[in-house]
Amino acid sequence: MKTLAILMAGGAGTRLTVLSDKRAKPAVPFAGKYRIIDFTLSNCVNSGIYDIAVLTQYRPHSLNAHIGIGKPWDLDRQRGGVVLRQPYQGSSADLDWYRGTADAVFRNLDFIQENQPDLVLILSGDHIYKMDYRPMLEYHQTKGADLTVGVMNVPLEETDRFGIMTVNRNMRVTEFTEKPKERDKGTLASMGIYVFTTEVLIRRLSEGGPESPRIDFGKDVIPSMIAEDRVYAYPFEGYWVDVGTIQSFWETNLALTRPNGSDLLNLHDPNWVIHTRSEERPPVKLGPQAQVANSLISNGCVIRGRVENSVLSPGVYVSPGAIVRESVIINDTWIGPGAVIDRAIVDENAVIGAGTFVGYGDDNTPNHQMPDRLNTGITVVGAGAHIPSGLVIGRNVLIHSERLESDFPAGVTEIASGETV
Amino acid sequence: MKTLVMIMAGGASEDLSVLTADRAEAAIPFGGKFRIIDFPLSNTVNSGLYRVALLTQYMPRSLNDHVGVGKPWDLDRSQGGVRLLQPYIGRGHSGWQRGTADAVRRNMDFVEEQRIDNVLILAGDHIYKMDYRPMLRFHQQTQAAVTVAVRRVSPFETHRFGIVSVDSDMRVTGFKEKPRRSKETLASMGIYVFDFHALREILQDESLNDFGRDVLPAIINHRKVYAYTFEGYWADVGTLQAYWEANMSLLAETPALDLYDPQWVIHTRSEEQPPVQIGSDAWVGGNLLSNGCIIHGIVERSVLSPGVRVAPGAIVRDSVIMNDTVINANAKIERAIVDKEVWVGEGAEIGYGVDNVPNRRHPERLNTGLTVIGKRARIPAGIKIGHNVIINPNINETHLQTDFIASGETI
Repeated sequence: MKTLAILMAGGAGTRLTVLSDKRAKPAVPFAGKYRIIDFTLSNCVNSGIYDIAVLTQYRPHSLNAHIGIGKPWDLDRQRGGVVLRQPYQGSSADLDWYRGTADAVFRNLDFIQENQPDLVLILSGDHIYKMDYRPMLEYHQTKGADLTVGVMNVPLEETDRFGIMTVNRNMRVTEFTEKPKERDKGTLASMGIYVFTTEVLIRRLSEGGPESPRIDFGKDVIPSMIAEDRVYAYPFEGYWVDVGTIQSFWETNLALTRPNGSDLLNLHDPNWVIHTRSEERPPVKLGPQAQVANSLISNGCVIRGRVENSVLSPGVYVSPGAIVRESVIINDTWIGPGAVIDRAIVDENAVIGAGTFVGYGDDNTPNHQMPDRLNTGITVVGAGAHIPSGLVIGRNVLIHSERLESDFPAGVTEIASGETV
Repeated sequence: MKTLVMIMAGGASEDLSVLTADRAEAAIPFGGKFRIIDFPLSNTVNSGLYRVALLTQYMPRSLNDHVGVGKPWDLDRSQGGVRLLQPYIGRGHSGWQRGTADAVRRNMDFVEEQRIDNVLILAGDHIYKMDYRPMLRFHQQTQAAVTVAVRRVSPFETHRFGIVSVDSDMRVTGFKEKPRRSKETLASMGIYVFDFHALREILQDESLNDFGRDVLPAIINHRKVYAYTFEGYWADVGTLQAYWEANMSLLAETPALDLYDPQWVIHTRSEEQPPVQIGSDAWVGGNLLSNGCIIHGIVERSVLSPGVRVAPGAIVRDSVIMNDTVINANAKIERAIVDKEVWVGEGAEIGYGVDNVPNRRHPERLNTGLTVIGKRARIPAGIKIGHNVIINPNINETHLQTDFIASGETI
């Protein structure tokens, strides 16, 4: 059985605010040294799938640089391997950009046909989980399915956040409801993982037209297939998260620092290594006064202050007297002497001036510009921002990337909760 | 100017005891995630030199695995790249190598094929960062047959080195191998640039087996030999004490050897390991910790390689701990070098007590209180092991049916 995996990596991830300003969501750093897409890519190669296409659209540069020719995943191969597919002109008469997941695959049908796989495995590049896809592919064969959808059980009160599959006792899908308001559709949520028999996929996507759109798998393709084709649900049990919001990104990172963190997601499993492109960095250096508890610290970090319940990516510098608490600090950020960072996400190459407080006080005013995205008390600092010394910054504050000290209002010593710079 | 770099990595280095029991000295882990060979190899590529031969003889397997096709150093190339040269049998200059010069002689056919102008000879067991380009330029300018890199050493240490005397133009006029006392303090670093034709002629004399001991004294009177002074950190880690000290010196606030310099990255083959995980009761001030470590105990002034586990209540002080060693609850390790994949049982103590009896079998090697544990040894729970003790590789509970091993023992 030849399987071709197609990773959807084109989404903008707008709910991640400045983290996805300059990079696609799958390229956002996660758990210190990884990026989100590493989990899906590593799942593929650990499942013995070496034919992979990554479909990009939004800000692909960071992703292109990260994946390259796929060396870290042993995907630099003579036959197969990883290919990055960008949208191109001439693929469609009216619009060249991809309009949705199914549309993106449809524009790459020629690539699928050239590869002649028996099965096409469609994956999302922005979920954190470890999964062997082989049992699911076998299940698809055994059921004689045209389409198998990976599902997981979610609590009944959360079913309105997911696409819910209703199944009969053979696990055949009888109904698909996108974010149902009623609670009678069952608790099996689609994980955005689909196995298609290739000819069915090609046939179904080619049928699309103005009256029967084939733009999105969840919205268009699956609902129209349930009545006519053999659609099955494959239950997955294990840890799976969509880190699509600031809150879930922060929470999921911090969960890894807790004592039970490796029960959720064991990064140390030698039988299921999560591969990534690692920069060559020396070991973590801890100064004589460094204090570190419940944290993940990546190579190349130099810690001379205090770090608690935090996740640090490679090359972060924590000066003497600085304190980092419950925060996610991304590559090469410099934290000045005596600075305090509390419940914050700081993107790469930021500079936090001496004595500055990021995430101060009990005032939890939601962000005025993005109250729907920043309302849980997390302050976000964009890449390359330079925050002046001695500033006090509240909660739910958004500092855009590349902000220089001169962009901060002169003479102001406090930025209240909910502000945006 | 085309240069071939030949790195000598064949020596047995018996002074390093169990660390070289099953690997060449050049393959010993250093500074957490690195191996000693990474330093000369990274210096080479950082100097823009991409034609490298690595000469092995003693226990090369670990080195072969590490260097492979040279990917981490961008030495997997179609032009040049890294070649591992092993001793071979056959006609002509075959058989085991009797020294550094002999090793090059036995691979002279390879050297000739390279069509190069200079040969840069390096030792595979020194820790330093050096741009070789200024030295190669100096060699060009002086039109020397041989240029030797030298550094100033303390007059009390001359007995450990080959000492050269120079005239005011830095031309070498004398050479003494390991003199007891010497007015001169310029020590050879074991780094030589040879003009290719001069090298070929010199090596025709088959009585010359070692560059320092034989070649230099034989040629300084009738060939142009110059000394090039290198100023910077350089350590020969050929003894247990020197190895331990060089690791410990990395812990200084501004260490003499800066591993964090983005302009001079030391490359190595890294295993894919997650970030260091530090638990709630851990105490980790003053250390180097590598990826994949999980620390729940107390670690002070120590260098840990990737994948080391320190359980709650365990204490590690002033020690070098290599890859994937597991230190169980309440174990205590002080002033020790612990090789890879060692298992230390609950409550075991390594480096116990205050006496300092030198090792009985090798008093000259182990006399400063360091205890050395060989690869894959299993240290039973509750045992107490003194100072200057050597535990050989693969020792397990059946060899250690006691609860106390006095200082100076070898198991």
